Amino acid sequence: MDLDEDDFDEGVQRITGPGESITSSHAFMRGHGTYVDSEEVIASVSGTVERVNKLITVRAVRSRYNPEVGDLVVGRITEVQPRRWKVDANSRQDAVLMLSSVNLPGGVQRRKLESDELQMRTFFEEGDLLVAEVQAFFSDGAMSLHTRSLRYGKLRNGQLVTVPPILIRRLKSHFVSLPCGVDLILGLNGYIWVSKHVKQHEQEGEEGFDAEAVYSNRNDDIDDATRAAISRVGNIIKLLASHFIPLTDAVLLEAYEWAIEQEGSVKDLLLDEVGENLVSSLGSGMRQ
Amino acid sequence: MSATLVSKSERAYIQASLQTTPPLRADGRSLLDFRTVLLETGVAPLANGSAKLNIGKLAREGGGGTEVLAAVKLEVEDVESGDGVDGGRVACSVTCSPSAYPHLTSNALDDLQHDLTVILQQTIAHPSLHPSNLAIIPGRRAWLLNLDAVILVDSGNVVDALFMAARAALWDTKVPRTRPVAYQAPSVSKNAVKENQDSMDVDQGTSSLDTRDMGRTAADFELPDYWDEGEVLQGRERWPVSVTLNLLPPIHLLDATLTEEASVPLRLHLMFSFPSSAPPTLQSMRLSGPGELDLVYLKSCIADGEKYARGLFTALESKLREEDVRRNAKARDRFAALR
Repeated sequence: MDLDEDDFDEGVQRITGPGESITSSHAFMRGHGTYVDSEEVIASVSGTVERVNKLITVRAVRSRYNPEVGDLVVGRITEVQPRRWKVDANSRQDAVLMLSSVNLPGGVQRRKLESDELQMRTFFEEGDLLVAEVQAFFSDGAMSLHTRSLRYGKLRNGQLVTVPPILIRRLKSHFVSLPCGVDLILGLNGYIWVSKHVKQHEQEGEEGFDAEAVYSNRNDDIDDATRAAISRVGNIIKLLASHFIPLTDAVLLEAYEWAIEQEGSVKDLLLDEVGENLVSSLGSGMRQ
Repeated sequence: MSATLVSKSERAYIQASLQTTPPLRADGRSLLDFRTVLLETGVAPLANGSAKLNIGKLAREGGGGTEVLAAVKLEVEDVESGDGVDGGRVACSVTCSPSAYPHLTSNALDDLQHDLTVILQQTIAHPSLHPSNLAIIPGRRAWLLNLDAVILVDSGNVVDALFMAARAALWDTKVPRTRPVAYQAPSVSKNAVKENQDSMDVDQGTSSLDTRDMGRTAADFELPDYWDEGEVLQGRERWPVSVTLNLLPPIHLLDATLTEEASVPLRLHLMFSFPSSAPPTLQSMRLSGPGELDLVYLKSCIADGEKYARGLFTALESKLREEDVRRNAKARDRFAALR
């Protein structure tokens, strides 16, 4: 089936699968996710067809995270290098967090010193989780992150849940507070941090921010009800992901309320039929 | 075993959750709950026995969960001139797919493969478990049983999965029936020499000759029935099951996920065999991790482990018998269709 230029109107998304012919190779150029065979551009992955001028690409449904500047991501430190950290952010390459892109103790405006380079592990060490924003790209396509905001930084008081990146929609805010005392950070790379709710004013801190608190490895005291809620939210996210439902705060809230109404235990959510029921109960939240 | 990265606060969170009353795990399971285990035997058509096992697969997703593929291939070995051992031998190997451990270097992956191979080899190939029907001709030919396992995905508890898959593949193994064949000089059997036949005579094991003597003088063997799959390994109900106790004294948990494994200081692998007519035996034991353990506590862990292993054994046994029935029915249907 051939496509004219009008077929790529704004807001019209075409879904294609491997082997499906997209358009003629005379009129268009092949991009990622396509190949040319007998003068036709053919999709090599399943996903949505996208066009930039004469370039046709297919954005795969299942792929690693494709970063864009300004995205909020959750990542894990894999390596400490001179003046930089390597961060696993579910992308094709490890992301880079420069020492100059983090808030240093003693004031936001402080310049980095040589002593900071020597004690980088006191800020982040291997295995630490952090929330950051994509700042720029290097020439090889690796992303550079920054944590120069009081909302970004090291993660504590919770657990990580991983979903396919495509299921995270772009939202107004990726910091979600559920009324059950659980905070969520929906990283666009598919990493979701589920943690205990921290009150707004405690989080922001004072003028000069508290380095002790920001780079601390100690968890706060968390009561059993909150722990159960965190586990329940984690299971709901995994369940929705296994049914391939895009996650938004509304969907999560609705699913959580349903789970509470059922009065089941946390592990009941792992059962197949409970999952089916939950998904079929989701109505309004999904279609907004 | 594999170093999963986990941050200090995650570790502290998991440990604190496990130590509350009642203990809470990340996915809401209780300490002794296993994830869903999926098992299928006879997955590799060219192998003598095979099985695929998955622990904790996501409900509808293709992926997720620890996945192990195990297959048994029998090979004839010459005892006199080759590597063969009289009565047959068992060789195990474990391969870890690089896609299961993307963060490991190839050296680290080799180490891991070696560690798992050693555990499997030392447990499965132990003389106390040796099946008696791996001999073909005493003193001359024997079967070499190759047990190969591939770890396709690792999301925790890989040792238990490995042993379950190995047990299922061994259970599924069929040893071809053989019959010894002797070469006889033409003078011995004069009546057998005919104009177009050479001097070799194929002796039938079912003839009136003394077949006990046959075994000693036989030079080679033949397969009496090509279509017959053969007989199961002798003593197949004895193959061990493994149960891994992740120790965070005073508690322990079963079937840990990767993050849980990284958060507990010690792991105790126990391999139990449950012969049908004898008390269970502890076939092997491994302790891994940086923590320490006193002997009294270890003993109580072994006692607990036996209980869990019994449960695992019973469940696996019933599943394997179910699989046998399913596959026999399938074979019968196919045979009926051919006729």
